[in-house]
Amino acid sequence: MGTARYIARRLIFSACLILGVSVILFAMINAIGNPIEILLAERPGITDDIIESVSKYYGLDGSVTDRYFTWLGNILHLDFGTSIIYNQPVSEMLVAYGQETLKIQLPGILIALALSVLVSVVAATRQHSRVDFGVIAGAMLGHSLPSFFIGILLILVFSYWLGILPSYGAFSTRSMLMDSKFIDGLWHMVLPVGMLVFFNTATLTLLLRSSLVEVLRQDFILAARASGLPERRVVFGHALRNAFIPVLTYLGILLGLMLGTAPVTETVFTWPGLGALYITAIQQLDYPVIMGTTMVITFMLVGATLLTDIAYVIIDPRIRLA
Amino acid sequence: MLRRRPGMWRQGWYRFRRNRGGMLGLFLVALVVLVAVLSPFVAPFEPSDQSAMLRGASRRAPDWIHLLGTDRNGYDVLTRMLYGASTALAVGLGAMAIASVIGVIVGGIAGYAGGLTDELLMRFAEFFMVIPVFVVILAVVRLFGIVVVGTWLESVPHLNLMTIIVLLGCFEWPPIARMARAEFLRLRHAEFVEAAVCIGSTKRSILLRHILPNALPSLIVLVALGIGGAILAETMVSFLGFGDPRAVSWGQSLYFNYEALKVAPWAVLSPGAAIFVTVLGFNLLADGLTDAFNPRLRR
Repeated sequence: MGTARYIARRLIFSACLILGVSVILFAMINAIGNPIEILLAERPGITDDIIESVSKYYGLDGSVTDRYFTWLGNILHLDFGTSIIYNQPVSEMLVAYGQETLKIQLPGILIALALSVLVSVVAATRQHSRVDFGVIAGAMLGHSLPSFFIGILLILVFSYWLGILPSYGAFSTRSMLMDSKFIDGLWHMVLPVGMLVFFNTATLTLLLRSSLVEVLRQDFILAARASGLPERRVVFGHALRNAFIPVLTYLGILLGLMLGTAPVTETVFTWPGLGALYITAIQQLDYPVIMGTTMVITFMLVGATLLTDIAYVIIDPRIRLA
Repeated sequence: MLRRRPGMWRQGWYRFRRNRGGMLGLFLVALVVLVAVLSPFVAPFEPSDQSAMLRGASRRAPDWIHLLGTDRNGYDVLTRMLYGASTALAVGLGAMAIASVIGVIVGGIAGYAGGLTDELLMRFAEFFMVIPVFVVILAVVRLFGIVVVGTWLESVPHLNLMTIIVLLGCFEWPPIARMARAEFLRLRHAEFVEAAVCIGSTKRSILLRHILPNALPSLIVLVALGIGGAILAETMVSFLGFGDPRAVSWGQSLYFNYEALKVAPWAVLSPGAAIFVTVLGFNLLADGLTDAFNPRLRR
């Protein structure tokens, strides 16, 4: 099977997956009945007429299947409906909150990637040494520390005890740091990004170190060394490239895990991102926002998996396409 | 008398015993189990005892009466931490029991039957692997809580916690199914299985008595990892406020006390440390088991 066919098949599967998630979620949300009724019931002065007209305003009349297809049709031109709590277009909210999520998640994974390469190379080239043992133990500990617990510890140390970093939010409400919106924003990013970097580095190092150790043992490394290449080029040019293949697949999984647990990360730091938006939406039964957020998170997750799958095939032609 | 060679499990144990990380993991897991069993006897207070609040002694720093202090609800932090162990184990074991049954059945059928059945089942498993599990679980827990209002289900004790356990089980089976499939594929044509076919064993006995026991070591590693993962997931669900308000769980303690982190850090640090120790224990145990049962993969 050719690469193009493989990619086409993955694309179709991904589309089916996103559709499947949307059907399940839509059905579940509708299983509880009309959210307007639940939200407005037992409030003084609410008559059946009002509930009916509000439901109609939000397009909640009609059968479930009809509404699903209307919703799906609207999504195709990026109309996610209107939030029933904030009365704002959901698409605008998704963009605003999504930016904040990516603002901490992308640096969180990129910095971790760079750090883990560095640490793994140091450890793997000194296999069985004390440094190596320390790296393995540290990575195992860091990997087992729940990410939100790392966040809590960071807040305790850097915000409460040392008092040098802000513990919540994405910007200061009163005076900005150095009167610059940009520096103030960066300053608020330090702890959340720090937490993500800590967790991601530990997990990636565990994987990359053992992969690198395995590769350094192979014959082509011996050949490269024998041909007189400097050790630095052997490690970074030849070994690292091959050691990276298993890490690459895991990168998609890790990014998915990070996006999936964004509600926790953003609750710890009161960060105004998609995860926090999702939590409030579930609590308030703001169903267009629930649907929209889940769709965006699923889309990013599936996209990440798809990209790594494709990159995998392109980087390593030995892999049999199945 | 004939002396039997040590079996698969005994050989595995010999190798496991030499693995320091794995032994540490086993020790930590044993500690958590011991705490879960003994908590009613060793805990200094009742888990529902809020009397400290009436004395105005909530959020009190650790002292000789309350060894780890009290939290903002007036609970004794140490007591709640000890009792949390049994909840955590119930979540981990319950979720993985469900996941193992589903996973072994799906993976076993896929691996043994092969062909189109295999293809369909594995696509189905893949669907569950890419779904944002945690996000979906949050929504289901919240919505299910509304659906049950006014039905007989409402009277079931710890319904919320059981929902979370069942959901975790229903979402965590794909890795087990994939491993079970690979093992069943590998063993389907093993010599001892062919021999069993030759002597006319029934399909049932081949699958359950010959293939499954030999597939277990690989599966147990995944189950150990999964228990830690399920405990962590329940903690996060509870931390976000979607947990069982009546259960004594570490996540619940985190949820109730996180707002008071600055004034009473001990009430957050203790359950957090308990989760860390438990998850670390299961991770190390899984690592040790991998080394013990798949010595070819040893580094």
